[in-house]
Amino acid sequence: MYCIETINLNYQFSENEKVLNNINLQVSEGSIYGFLGPNGAGKTTTLKLILGLLKKQKGEIMIFGQTFLKNRIEILSNIGSMIETPSIYSHLTARENLQVLQKVYRCSKDRIAEVLELVGLANTGNKKAGNFSLGMKQRLAIAIALLHSPKLLILDEPTNGLDPNGILEIRELLKKLAHLQGITILISSHLLSEIEKLVTHIGIINYGNLLFQGTLPDLINKQKLSSFIQFSTSDNQKALEIFEKNNISILSINEKISIQILDKSKIARINEQLVLNRIDVYEIQTVKSDLEQIFFDVIKD
Amino acid sequence: MKFIYSFQSEWLKKRRSLAAWLVVIGAFFTPTIILLVRLKNYQALPKLNSAEDFWIKLWFTNWESMTILLLPMGIILAVALITQIEYKNNSWKQLHTTPQGFSVIFFAKFTVILVMLIELFGLFNLGIYLSAVLPSLILSDIPFPTAPIPFSQFFTGNLNFFIECLPILALQYLISLQFKNFLVPIGFGFAIWALGIGMTSWEYSFALPYNQAVMDFLRNSGNLKREISVNLPLLAFIYFAIITFASYILYLTKREKG
Repeated sequence: MYCIETINLNYQFSENEKVLNNINLQVSEGSIYGFLGPNGAGKTTTLKLILGLLKKQKGEIMIFGQTFLKNRIEILSNIGSMIETPSIYSHLTARENLQVLQKVYRCSKDRIAEVLELVGLANTGNKKAGNFSLGMKQRLAIAIALLHSPKLLILDEPTNGLDPNGILEIRELLKKLAHLQGITILISSHLLSEIEKLVTHIGIINYGNLLFQGTLPDLINKQKLSSFIQFSTSDNQKALEIFEKNNISILSINEKISIQILDKSKIARINEQLVLNRIDVYEIQTVKSDLEQIFFDVIKD
Repeated sequence: MKFIYSFQSEWLKKRRSLAAWLVVIGAFFTPTIILLVRLKNYQALPKLNSAEDFWIKLWFTNWESMTILLLPMGIILAVALITQIEYKNNSWKQLHTTPQGFSVIFFAKFTVILVMLIELFGLFNLGIYLSAVLPSLILSDIPFPTAPIPFSQFFTGNLNFFIECLPILALQYLISLQFKNFLVPIGFGFAIWALGIGMTSWEYSFALPYNQAVMDFLRNSGNLKREISVNLPLLAFIYFAIITFASYILYLTKREKG
């Protein structure tokens, strides 16, 4: 059973503006799912639909194995969320902000001190939330999301606008939550580098289409497949004949010849053959795409 | 029970907000002015305080500016400020992802505004009383008012004015829930109020949704030369019920909730 499952989820703001196209999101229980895509790809719309902030038009949304619309209140009592900018009452203190939500969730009052401690805001006293730094506001928003000990956390770009130190802090906090409390986390971002060290699963969305969905190793595998070796020689034409004779796939030819990834011994043998055929080999280079490049390749396709 | 918790949560949100202060300022504004005027003209107070109709006169003096200006303006501002708490803090989305029915959210917030109005009426009445007795407490040679307080008349008057304010409150709530821009409900409310005040001489001006309290005041204070055969509180209550229902449906069917 998936913690979140959307089946052919579609959404459009107007007839000509299709925002989501058959999104089949599958977030496994206990996973940290990174929902990636550039700005305007459809991430926030998907998350808003999952949380019932937008009226569903076409498709199904299942959370904890239940249909969202029929079990809205029960489902929401197990979800903590933060969509886009933090929702914080700026005229209230951190504690008062949590009191507002504690009344609604009817959780223990002790939780307020616990979550404030957890996010490092226990000593903010009477300081109004409006005077907090962006990082503190983000942490308070996470504290609000965690107040009722949810099973699922949905965070929309929680590190947006934070400095590198703030990003690191939030990442460590989320890791701690996932490992210690076993919370399933769905986190969206437009930068893979920001969440690749955190997530176990990844979904990549662009122009409303889910282009990739799988585990991080799946994506790393994709990365390996997109790596290649480049040869720079004095006679590319003659070198090509040698590659073909050895059944090596040629990926591209320009100033350099790009071939499939080979193991080290095979590279050495090919190099030997090139030299024996009086071809000067100036450079042999393995080109590895980083995950960020894979992400861009996926959204480009 | 769920509604009680939701109400408590909504009540907490207005702590230290401008809306909360507005109730106190709005309630004591006119009584304070009247108190200062009475203190300034203290020589006339012994005669005024011993008059049989002291309380009725004081009541109408206080309610004049309240029904015509302060009450509608206060409601327009307070309702907009209460809903703006969510808009300004981007917190509608947070509120709508809490495990509460949309009806509970709608009516909890609405009840907070209603309770604030009751609070305003309570403090205003206290203000009227203080404007009457404070000069006698401050100045030793001023006697306390001798006439008995007409509680029953005041209660009925309060109740009628309260009911007659409800259409303003409901319509402002409807507009404030639909528009993020603070100026829309304020501008709309001000325009309807100005229209109503400008048309008080019109035969059917009592039918304008913001005019029942004003017309009731003008009628009861003897400032209206024509008869109004309509039950104004009942008319106001019908408006209130219809507008609240429309507001509720519009809120429920809103496509985006955050």
